[in-house]
Formats: sequence, C-alpha cells, structure tokens
Amino acid sequence: MKLSFETTGARVAGAIAIAAGLHLVGALVIDGYSSPFSIRAMLVLACLLAVACVGQTLTIIIGGIDLSIPFVIGFANVVAAQLYGEGMSFALVCAIVGVLALGIGALNGAISAGLAIHPLIVTLGIGTIIQGCVLVWTRGFPSGSAPAAVTQFVSIGGSVGPVPVPWLVPCFVVLSALIIVILNRTPYGRRLFALGSNPRAAALALIDPLRMWMITYAFSALFAAVAGVLLLGFTGSAYGDVGQPYLFQTIAAVVIGGTALVGGSGSFLGTVAGAVVLTEINTLLIGLGLRPSMVQAALGFVILLLVSLYGREAHVRNTI
Amino acid sequence: MTAAAPESQRREGLLHAIWQRVGLAPVLLTALLVVNVWLNPARFGPAAWGTLIGLAAPLIGAALASTPAILGGRGGIDVSVGPTMGFVNAILVKVLIMNLGLSSPFIIVPMAFVIGAGIGAVNGFLAAYVRIQPIVATLGTYLILVGVTLTILPAPMGTIPHWLKTLSGPFSIIPIGAIFLAWWGIRRLPFYDHLMATGSDDRAAYTAGIAVSAVRFFSYVITGAFAGIAGLMLTALIGSADANIAPTFTLIAISAVALGGVSLAGGRGSLFGAAIGAIDIFLIQSALTFFNVSTFVLQIAYGSILVIAISLTAVEDRVAKARKA
Repeated sequence: MKLSFETTGARVAGAIAIAAGLHLVGALVIDGYSSPFSIRAMLVLACLLAVACVGQTLTIIIGGIDLSIPFVIGFANVVAAQLYGEGMSFALVCAIVGVLALGIGALNGAISAGLAIHPLIVTLGIGTIIQGCVLVWTRGFPSGSAPAAVTQFVSIGGSVGPVPVPWLVPCFVVLSALIIVILNRTPYGRRLFALGSNPRAAALALIDPLRMWMITYAFSALFAAVAGVLLLGFTGSAYGDVGQPYLFQTIAAVVIGGTALVGGSGSFLGTVAGAVVLTEINTLLIGLGLRPSMVQAALGFVILLLVSLYGREAHVRNTI
Repeated sequence: MTAAAPESQRREGLLHAIWQRVGLAPVLLTALLVVNVWLNPARFGPAAWGTLIGLAAPLIGAALASTPAILGGRGGIDVSVGPTMGFVNAILVKVLIMNLGLSSPFIIVPMAFVIGAGIGAVNGFLAAYVRIQPIVATLGTYLILVGVTLTILPAPMGTIPHWLKTLSGPFSIIPIGAIFLAWWGIRRLPFYDHLMATGSDDRAAYTAGIAVSAVRFFSYVITGAFAGIAGLMLTALIGSADANIAPTFTLIAISAVALGGVSLAGGRGSLFGAAIGAIDIFLIQSALTFFNVSTFVLQIAYGSILVIAISLTAVEDRVAKARKA
C-alpha cells in the first residue's frame, strides 16, 4: 500500500515537473509565451479541461471509465443555452441541467455495476442516446446564449479584485482542494479506492458496489455538465460537439497525472497537473506555427512519450 | 427416464454454446433482416445482396480488426483501427496511385496489409512491451495517424483503378473471406489458445509458461493487418481518398464487437460474433434510413439498441449462471 502511494506520488511529481519544464521551453522558444495574457489564457483552458476531468479521475479510480463525458458536456452546453434563451431564470436552468446530468450518470453507473457490463460500452451507448436526444430536440440547430455572469466568470480578461484572473481560477482551486480532501479523508474516498483496487475484498468490507458506482458516475456527469455550462460562457454560443475534444483529452490528462487505468490508485492533483501539461503542449505546438492537423499528431506523440516515461504498467510477473 | 431427456439436454447445450459464443446478435440479426426485407423488398432482394455486402464491408472489416486485440485482455483494445483504415486509404490513393502511378493489385493489396501490420506492430510494441495502458497507447497512435492523414490529404481527392472498384460490390466478400480464412488458420495454431488463455487470466497464463507479452504483441499486429484490409475495403467503397470518414469507424466497430458477444475484458468471443454484430448495426442503420428519419433519431435508436442488447446479454448470462448453481 505504501509502495503504491509512493509510486502515485512520484508520478504526480513527474507530471508537475513536466508541466514546469514545458513552460520553460515555451518561454525560451516563443516570444510572449510567458506573458501575463498567455498565462491567463492557459490557466482558463486548463481549468476548463480539469473540471471535465474530475469525473474521469473518479470513474477510473473506481476501476471504470466514462466515455459519456463529451456527450454530457454537449448536452449541458446546448440545453442550458436553449432554456436560458427561452427566458427561464438561470438558477432554474442550472438546477434542471444538474438534475438531468445526475440522472444520466446514475444510469451509467447502475447499468455498468448492476449488470457487470464494461462501462466503456455502456457510457458510449448512453452518451450516443443523449446526443441524439439533444439533436432531435434542437433539430440540429441549437440557439440561445450564456448569461453575462457566466461569460464574466470564465473570461480570460476577467479579474478577482486586484488579481488578473477570472473567478473560475480561484473557484477551481477551492474545488480541487475539496475533491482532494474527499478522496483522501472521507469514507467515500476510502470506499472508492477500496473498490478500485479489489472489488471482491471491498464487498466483504460491506461496501455496496452498485451504490458507489451510481454515486461516482452521477458525480462524473455532474462535473461534465458544469464544464459544459462553463464552455458555453467561454465560447458564447451553444455547440453540441463542443465536448468532443474532451473525449480523449480527459483520459490522457488522468493518465499523465499518474492514475492507473486499472483502478485503485491515483490522485486529482495529478489530473490537474495532467490538464496543465496538455494545455502547455497544445499552446506550445500552436505557438511553433504547426498546422492544426500536425498539432494533433504531435500531441499524440508527446502523450506516448510522457506516458512511456513514467506511466508504465507493471509486468505480469510482478502482479502475481 | 426416457432416452429423449439427454437428447434434448444435449441440444440445449449446443444452443447454449452458440449463444455463449455470439450472444444476442443472431436473434437481433434475424429480426432486423425480417424488418428490413418487409420494409424494403427491392433493396433487400437477392439481386441487391452484392451491393449491400459492399456497403457493409468496411464496418464488418473494422469490427473484425478490432477483435484480436480485445481478446488479449487486461484492457486490450485498439482505438486506432479507424484512423489506420484512413491512413491506408490516404497512402494507397494519394501516394501509390496518384503520385507514383502504381495501380497493380500485386502492389496495392500487399501494401495495405503491410502498412496495417506495421501500425499494429507499433501499437503492440507500445501496449505489450512499453506497457502503456492500451487505450492510451492506441489513442496516441490514433492522434498521430489522424494528424498525418489530414496533412497528406487536406481535402478528398483521387480515383481508384477499375479492379479495386469491383471490390466494392459482391466481390467485397473476397477481402472479408480472406480475413476469415487467415483467422481460421490462426485458430489452428497454439497462438490462438495462448491468446484466449492470456485474455481470460494473464497471471495464470504467465505461470503456465505462456509468453504473455509476445502473445499480446501479435494480437495487435493481427488487428493492424486486418485494419489494413478494412482500409482497402473502405477505399474500394468510397472510390477516392478522404481523411474524414475512417476515424468514425473506431467507436462503431467497438460497439459492433460488444454487440457480437466479444467480452471487452478479454478471453471470450469470436470473429464470427463480431461480424454479426457489425451486420446488426448496418441493418439498424438501413432500416432507420428507410423511414427517412433524421440521423439524430438514428443515433438515439442505435445507442438504445446497443445498451439494450448488451444488457439483455448480461441478464441472460446471469440467469444461465443461476441455473447452473
């Protein structure tokens, strides 16, 4: 147990070091890479990605995976814009979107755990249904916009008192601290790690897997919905496919952050570092003047390089 | 007891064995075929079978290709199957046919196979020897392949030689048949048993002396080679080079594989099941297209059928287990 904690700790440290290293390289190679504006932009982008990654971290620790995140992001994005555009109060819109998201997530968890089906395929199926429903409802042309408060909340030019970052950043720091405390210091967190590392032993410790999976996937969908609403504020208008880049990016951030896909270990701090690493790489590559298609290819290459440096799994002989 | 009892028991056992191998997919297949023929006899009449097989071929190929890596277990999966098909499509049409003017089947077909197997070898090396979690390793190659393909091919272009076009109709059964023939051969090798043993329980397989890493490596090479052939089928169907079509095949193929009763945990399932799963998805799509519903409704129906089908398979498994106990 101690060993695995140390490994995770080392992986998190590795991810943070790489984020810092990438930033240093960027600052040396590209003019203005370390300018206040560019740092603010990267902070906002990394925060948005990290919010979407909350659920991916939790579901991977429990031993699953959540491919419905991009679809729930798109769902929240479009539904929030549409309802708000029809004149509903924004608090009510958030409540409706939040409750629906919790329901979607709970359904994901219930089917995966209750019937013992691989969550990869369940979340993909449910995600496809959700996206289809949203498209049918909006006839493929979502309308509406975000309230000014949300736009201000995530705006790169925003400021918190004298500090030149939007409110999103300090709020996200508080959220991360909360999640880290929940993972390490609460019964829920202990049950999550216990289920992920050994489901059979967890059942003997009177942990109800079905309940845990439903709660965890509900959380995952809720945070995806939050990311969707924040993205609505960021881009200004609704777009159903806004979450698609997050399908693989959330998984990559979690893995770069040192969380093993087999479950039972990992940390949210690592995921945050992973989100920063991905944002740095993206900014660096675009800054170097690469075409979007080449940025994508280079991103794939860098993910492989990083994960092969410190995200390797144990050999079978060491798992016996 | 009469002699009839063991006879019926045996028959039930056989049915059960078939069920276990392919799951709900054949039932769904029959139902969908009936619905489709009833809806649209002209499209599904015997005369149109060739065209239909041609339309379904790339998806069937993608599903067949996805299966070997999944059978290897411990999260084994190849999400780069779609982009591999796209990359093969781009290289064949843009580089070989357009730029180098090579259009002989004796160059094109082996090249599709070799490119696919090469990508599979990279995936296998990353997943089995570097030991990166397979979904992340193949995600890396996914991004690289999509990026490179888009760079070679910013817009759809090109034409294909006549012999390749003929592969899009009834003759598309040839590449599918070739894949099955190759798999039939592989099943006769000790490798196949090693793969299934590794997929069911890699630790037990390792202690039994199976070279687990090598087995997994070759499962990705096979997946890649089959994906190369699937890329050839896609090229035949679309008749040009297009970077945007192929990547979408990945997720549909994985759905088809799951629908076809292949366990995503590894060690259980067959290529036959995967093919039936793919045909199911194709038939769902064509039945819904007939109603002229929007692609949005199609998406809902497709997701629902996927979730319901795998749920029913899981429930059936439970009932079977409870009966046995």
